[in-house]
Amino acid sequence: MSTPDPRQVFVVIPAYNEHASIHSVTQELLKHGYRLVIVDDGSKPSLAPVLNDLPVIYARHRVNLGQGAALQTGIEIALANEASFVVTFDADGQHEAGDIADAINLLVENQLDVVLGSRFLENPAKDMSAGRKRVLKMARYINFIFTGILLTDAHNGFRCMTAEAAGKITLKQNGMSHATEFLSIIRKQKLRYAEMPVSVYYTDYSKAKGQRSWHGFRILFDLLLSKFFK
Amino acid sequence: MNGIQVILISGVLLIFFYYTFRLRSAILDLLVLAICSGLGIFFILFPSYTNDIAHKLGVGRGADLLFYICILLFLFVVMKLFARIRRLERKLTEVIRNDAKKEMQVKD
Repeated sequence: MSTPDPRQVFVVIPAYNEHASIHSVTQELLKHGYRLVIVDDGSKPSLAPVLNDLPVIYARHRVNLGQGAALQTGIEIALANEASFVVTFDADGQHEAGDIADAINLLVENQLDVVLGSRFLENPAKDMSAGRKRVLKMARYINFIFTGILLTDAHNGFRCMTAEAAGKITLKQNGMSHATEFLSIIRKQKLRYAEMPVSVYYTDYSKAKGQRSWHGFRILFDLLLSKFFK
Repeated sequence: MNGIQVILISGVLLIFFYYTFRLRSAILDLLVLAICSGLGIFFILFPSYTNDIAHKLGVGRGADLLFYICILLFLFVVMKLFARIRRLERKLTEVIRNDAKKEMQVKD
């Protein structure tokens, strides 16, 4: 089968204060020939100087809006540049650039709309704490209650979708509850989706930078509010 | 007139005049505010009427009835404000997003 031109693959990276990791993550992705949309979500100081020497599309939110908002901005930019595939990717270096090609193959071969990365489908995530596992397990079921979709992994930043599917996605939840909102949209728009095992590296950096487990409650609260206040 | 009545009535009047002169807005708002203030002053001057209403509704004291109504009003206001904050947030997001798109640097 024909693999799509990597120049048509747009990787959207929402980044908030990821000064330490963004450069290496970007370089790694550029090796594969993808086009990158980096959305600086109001980092202080700006991420622009760090990325100055790299061929990427760089957009900056003047103030911090949240990951959901940054993703939405990035997806819109990718589509405006005639992307065929849109990938979302975390800025902290926990995803593996090599997984993108597999995800796109899966997408094309099975004529899917969306491929969602999972940490638990095959090889369990490396160095994940027991507490985090428990929280994610709970989050699965919360997602199920809100969206009717039960995944093996609830909050994975790795997603890959066709341009057509990306065009149907409008994330209105600016914060972290966008992961659940994403599933609701999949469900509402009747998008064909599959999960794919992806490697996730929990480095000391990503652990320090990532979300605390109690942020889960914040997400749940946001979700409940969004149900009441459309 | 006893002390608490003086305090409450001057408070109500203060809010009423502040609203009319500083934040003056639609006539309807003003009318509603005037009626509420009038009722407020009336019940402050003749608190026994609140007791009568409370008894009719099965509440022991007028003050308790007022308290319950206040809780409801408070929740209502919180919800209204929350909905407004969300709307504002949405607009802000749109503005910031448009700015980000306008000023993006394309170097690839």
